[in-house]
Amino acid sequence: MSSSKVRKQKERIFLIGIGSLTFLALLPLFHIIATVFRNGLPVIIKEGLNFLTGTFSNGGIGPAIIGTFTLTFLASLLGLPIAFLVGLYAYEFPRSTIGRWTKMLLQIMIEFPTILVGVFVMQVLVVPMGTYSAFAGALALAIILMPYVAIYTHEAMREIPFTYREAGYSLGLTRIKVLLKILAPMAKRGIFTGVLIGVAKVAGETAPLLFTAGGLYESYPSSVTKPIGSISLLIYQLVQSPSPADHEMAWGASLILLIVFLGIFIPIRLSLKEVKL
Amino acid sequence: MRMDGFKAIAIVAVFVVFAVFAGMLVIYFTNAVPAFHRFGIDVYLKNIWNAAEEPSREAYGIAAAIWGSFYTSLIAVLIALPLSISYSIFVVDYAPKRLKNVIIILSDVMAGLPTIIYGIWGAFVLVPLLRDYVMQFLYDHLSFIPLFSYPPITGYSYLSAGILLAIMVTPFASAIIREAYEMIPYTYREAAYALGATKYEATKLLIGYIKPAILSGFILAFGRAIGETVAVSLVIGNTFNLTWKLFAPGYTISSLIANQFGNAFIYEYMTPVLYAAGLALFIIGLGINIIGLRFIRRWEENVKL
Repeated sequence: MSSSKVRKQKERIFLIGIGSLTFLALLPLFHIIATVFRNGLPVIIKEGLNFLTGTFSNGGIGPAIIGTFTLTFLASLLGLPIAFLVGLYAYEFPRSTIGRWTKMLLQIMIEFPTILVGVFVMQVLVVPMGTYSAFAGALALAIILMPYVAIYTHEAMREIPFTYREAGYSLGLTRIKVLLKILAPMAKRGIFTGVLIGVAKVAGETAPLLFTAGGLYESYPSSVTKPIGSISLLIYQLVQSPSPADHEMAWGASLILLIVFLGIFIPIRLSLKEVKL
Repeated sequence: MRMDGFKAIAIVAVFVVFAVFAGMLVIYFTNAVPAFHRFGIDVYLKNIWNAAEEPSREAYGIAAAIWGSFYTSLIAVLIALPLSISYSIFVVDYAPKRLKNVIIILSDVMAGLPTIIYGIWGAFVLVPLLRDYVMQFLYDHLSFIPLFSYPPITGYSYLSAGILLAIMVTPFASAIIREAYEMIPYTYREAAYALGATKYEATKLLIGYIKPAILSGFILAFGRAIGETVAVSLVIGNTFNLTWKLFAPGYTISSLIANQFGNAFIYEYMTPVLYAAGLALFIIGLGINIIGLRFIRRWEENVKL
């Protein structure tokens, strides 16, 4: 009888233990979001619309915002077509040697230290060109974006029942038509999710931009071969500055970045749930 | 198999990706060669950083940064593991369905949150908090233990970096462990309950069953922590300190590269040394991820049987 009591007691302690550890694991997220809003909102309110459009010396981060969007857009332009094809290849030839290696490589690249990509692009692009550039930054981001999109494409295609592919071939379609006209449209939701997750990821990246984008905050970017700024890069530089005014700007910029990220990410996550249900 | 239109196009894309990856390895290696010629293997084994205008007086050894990468990542996974195992058990076994979805979404948001946001929060909020309430307390009362014997003046330290990394990798490790925990066939649970086990006792059994997945979560989280750059470089203090002491400022390979590359071209040997550091990170990252992925694949194959 008493042993059963001990066991019940243990059970209760266990439940309290894992409940509080779970809470502890998620607590930082609330604290981070609250802190970013508390420190960032006053800065943005003080500057008003100027914070979004002004140049840095005018108290705004307009060029950084445009820079982030430009870099993300260019990175998608460079990375998405290749990623899509690579994902299709890994799906279509899962048992061939190259297919297996491709999948392994994608999984490794997704975990790879991003700063190494930045330094690599610096060496092959920035050094020969002699200048930081939007193109170099976008190339680094494209390399980071690629594995996300490829893996999601691969996974989304795998969920489609095999019979659809048989039906396609029995109609006499070629492989490329079966893939692009029948299977890919069916998997478009999964693929689109991968695209958005990849884009959300690279929009917030900093390390690969350190030695490729260069930074530009006093004027708007004019050419892809010139340096460009980004919100995350700006935050990184402002945090290291000793001036409290710079820190305020950093908090304001963080709030903008957080809103952009949540704006992309939350809808994806919610729509994913619908798919599962 | 016959070459068709799709294969011809897709193989080019696949080739480009392989070429980029191989190109990275080649670039790191060739650019690091002058450092190996000059310093030999000492570049990895010694802890010294003498940047001099005259090349003959330059001397570099990045042992402290390599140590820092391992040490901070180890602190991170040691903290992250109990959290992510508890999280997985709670989500799968205890949480009501609605709460479960919310918790999973929150954890996913944490996993994707831009690292610079962790960085600014770490530098301005977490570090002062740890310094004033944790480090100072431990230093005052337990400084006879060597781990706690470094005076926490700024708070930028191995411990701060380790804790920030732990917060960042917990959702990542959680996702791996939770998936494995959910994959355990329900009959196992039923069997345990049928024997009269409490939930705690059943969980203890089931956790034993997913040990390989936990191990791979541990390894992959370690791999992610070791490659993290900006958040770490904002909280670690960026000092060449080769020590166990938790409150000492330190360096990691990635923060070393982030901090020093900008002005390295002034010195003759600093750039090659930084490439050598990058090469080390490249190989460590590659090795850890391959091992982690192997483990998880073997586990998945076992479960399917």
